[in-house]
Amino acid sequence: MSLTPRLRRRGASLRRVLAAATVTALGAVGAAVVQGAPATADATPRNGIVCTSGGSAPGNPVFDLTTRTGYIDLPDGNTAYMWGYSSGFDPFQHPGPVLCVHEGDTVTVILHNTLEDPTSIVFPGMDDVRADGVASQPQVDGAGLVTSLAPGAAALTGTTTYTFTASRPGTYLYESGTNPEKQVRMGLFGALVVRPTLGDDYAYDSADSRFNPTEEFMVLLSEIDPYQHQAAEAHKSFNLNNYKPRYWLINGRGYPDSIADNGASWLPNQPYGSLATVKPYDPVTHPLSGLARYLSVGSEDYPFHPHGNNGLVVGRDGHPLKSPSGGDLSMEKFAINIGPGQTWDVLFKWFDAEGYSPSNPVTVTVPSLANQVVGTFYSGSPYLGSTQALPPGVQTLNQCGEYYIISHNHALYQITSWGVTMTGPITYMRIEPPAPNTCG
Amino acid sequence: MTGRPGPEPHLQPTAPSRQGDTMDTLHPTEPGVPTPDAVATLATGPTDAPGPTNAPGAATEAGHGVSRRRFLGLAGGAALVAGVGTWSGRVLAPEQVASAADAPANLYLAGTDGWIHLPPTPAIPPYHPDPLAPAGLTTYVFGFRNVTGMTTTQRLAQKNKAQHSAPLFWVDQYDPNAHNEFRVQLTNLGLALRPDLFDAHTLHWHGFRNVIPFFDGEPTGSVSVPAGREFTYVYRPRDPGTYMFHCHVEDVEHVHMGMTGLVFVRPLQDGQSKTYQGRTYTKFLYNDGDGSTGHDREFAMFLSEVWAEAHWADAHIQLPEWSDYRADFALLNGRVYPDTIEPNGPSVDAFHTESGVTFDASGDLIPPAGRPDLQYQPNSSLVRCNSGERVALRFANLGFREAAMTTSGIRMRVVGRDATPMRGRDGTDTSYETETLNIGPGESYDVVFTAPARTGSGAYDTYYLYNRAFNRSNNLAPGGFGGQATEIRVYASGVGPQGYPNDWGN
Repeated sequence: MSLTPRLRRRGASLRRVLAAATVTALGAVGAAVVQGAPATADATPRNGIVCTSGGSAPGNPVFDLTTRTGYIDLPDGNTAYMWGYSSGFDPFQHPGPVLCVHEGDTVTVILHNTLEDPTSIVFPGMDDVRADGVASQPQVDGAGLVTSLAPGAAALTGTTTYTFTASRPGTYLYESGTNPEKQVRMGLFGALVVRPTLGDDYAYDSADSRFNPTEEFMVLLSEIDPYQHQAAEAHKSFNLNNYKPRYWLINGRGYPDSIADNGASWLPNQPYGSLATVKPYDPVTHPLSGLARYLSVGSEDYPFHPHGNNGLVVGRDGHPLKSPSGGDLSMEKFAINIGPGQTWDVLFKWFDAEGYSPSNPVTVTVPSLANQVVGTFYSGSPYLGSTQALPPGVQTLNQCGEYYIISHNHALYQITSWGVTMTGPITYMRIEPPAPNTCG
Repeated sequence: MTGRPGPEPHLQPTAPSRQGDTMDTLHPTEPGVPTPDAVATLATGPTDAPGPTNAPGAATEAGHGVSRRRFLGLAGGAALVAGVGTWSGRVLAPEQVASAADAPANLYLAGTDGWIHLPPTPAIPPYHPDPLAPAGLTTYVFGFRNVTGMTTTQRLAQKNKAQHSAPLFWVDQYDPNAHNEFRVQLTNLGLALRPDLFDAHTLHWHGFRNVIPFFDGEPTGSVSVPAGREFTYVYRPRDPGTYMFHCHVEDVEHVHMGMTGLVFVRPLQDGQSKTYQGRTYTKFLYNDGDGSTGHDREFAMFLSEVWAEAHWADAHIQLPEWSDYRADFALLNGRVYPDTIEPNGPSVDAFHTESGVTFDASGDLIPPAGRPDLQYQPNSSLVRCNSGERVALRFANLGFREAAMTTSGIRMRVVGRDATPMRGRDGTDTSYETETLNIGPGESYDVVFTAPARTGSGAYDTYYLYNRAFNRSNNLAPGGFGGQATEIRVYASGVGPQGYPNDWGN
């Protein structure tokens, strides 16, 4: 590849960041994009997990999921043809809606298929799933070959109703059980959150899994081989031996789109952002951790690395990290090495261990910014809530002295988008200055 | 690489610094007029006294003069930008004078490019060995160097003399009573082979908790260091354990090109005497309270990878397609087996810097004994120990693939991971024994093992430590170990105490 195209494309992505910032500054939050009967979208927050609830019947949530085709935007300016689950009978979205239920609920998921292929849904981690009333088990053809991991819906018009009891709290995937090597990769997946009986602000039924519900985030990681998607769009076969991901995504977007708000208007089919806006930990005013729910539908490990804090891993694959006798097996980690199909529940908090401020300054002479390269999100000041003038010609997207601390996949070839580096599964913690602040 | 078009991120009217032509001591508060401060500094600039062993002294120093032409150039530039916008700061600032006013840095690192040696055969045409490589070397890298204690002339001469892996360093846990901050000054010497790039560099201490963006080194959220400039990172490491560090500018490229290394934090418990399972220790991995992480000697095992095409591409003004990534070479402390068992270079003790002893008169690295081709890969991975000793291995992986480090015949006890002791929040012991340690990119592990009794008849028993993903424990050649592999040599006795981590203990 010559130098010129990459530079041009990098320029494009920077423009996109600027566009995103403009819209953010205007406070233009997109309309809720997940809605429809009987499932209901919760009010869409600008940042954080966007739950879709299964209607108003207590203990009996019902979700209609319709398979759709559509396109998503990628950080290099490319688009990808996708398949996806939409909530109710809404237009295409990617990834599927986040199904939020409660421990003990009898959950009903009605699959409506509009694809030209038969399809099905599996719910890894759920016990005793039934499809149209019978046990959901692998389907075999007359020769004994598996055709699907679950009973499914026929092409174009088929419908299948799945039911199960959400008996264990945690974070789970739901995904296609039919030709998953094609259908899951085409985008037929989403997250299922089972909230514990103890309360919606706990990850599990233990007091030490409590989190601040305003700081609950989804980190759903996936990958795309554009040739497989091109083949699907052209109704051609794809040789899986040639499978090679070129894009990696977080919540269905690549950086910098990943830090745009939930429901950003310029990403009509990719409703879920991943910017983690948090307040600094404070034992009095902000004592609870945030919760990041990591999920991977990829083909290999995604070693995710949040800067500046160690996540406390309290659960994996819907199992709290407790010994049989109740001993705590949780672990602090700075590398969340999430494997294919795994989910990790990670409590996290951030605070400045040194309490730096203009009155407790860093113990080094702050160099003139004219002698440094100034980052796009830098306020000009080392201190939370402070801003400083920048040298002539330097622009910043910083609004009120807030901090931006990155999280990203550390298999670094995976934070590229078919040649455009520093894209893909990257997001930031945005640390809000303590009130009062000027963030608006 | 940062060769994108567009406005300079900072108005910098002068040419990049050249050897012996530094602007560092200029104090242009009155453009064009040398102030008394500047004159005084020019006359009396800080000395270049190297610090004593393990108590590094001043790493900062002033330059030795500013030419009249440079003075005028700077003055003109300052006048040019005066009155533009609301910027009230100085557009040109005397950073090193400012730094000299602070406490001295404990370590002074420089970022630049350079060349290392990997087995030239079998070749990977046209990428490996790189035809541009100097004699004996094969592979273009970006990297760090330890320039602590060097004169300005020596330091600036290290452009194009990067090493890989980066200088290993270690820090005592922060003690609020002692206020033992650790300060790392970073300079950017530029890229000799790619003058078309104006890449900045940073130091990202990977895994450091509760750090502000200013000291995190992630360039988007703070600042990064252009060629010829300086920045000092201040750390108060409160959590012992094994970490890693790397430049975070153009992360994909700068990490893979080699600006990576291992750093660890010694616990406050060090120096206390604790007996665990009948053996008494004074050195530990964590503040365990019971001596369970005690050890007699310690070795850093830093994992990295080389994709030959990507390294070649940077040298030849090309761009790799990163999604085609592959690990042609898997490295242990910057070398491949059997080079991993060659001696340490004299620079490996990062806190003993002495011209003519740990670097030569020009500031260049002095090669390990007998291996001039390993001049820029000074870190040995050979483990030498006596039977019955408890040995700590500190693993960190900044390759892009998971590694499966296996010891044949020795069980490792995992006592730490990601700079965290293996304890649940209620104290539940989660340590475990294994012979194979899976280490993902960006992960670290602390393990201890007890050296077995001698069973062989030679001078020592040999155990292998290798990546059991076998295509990364060879050197592309059929047969035999290579790559991410080293030896553990157990002697009956006679291996002396270590002077520094990875020291052979003669």
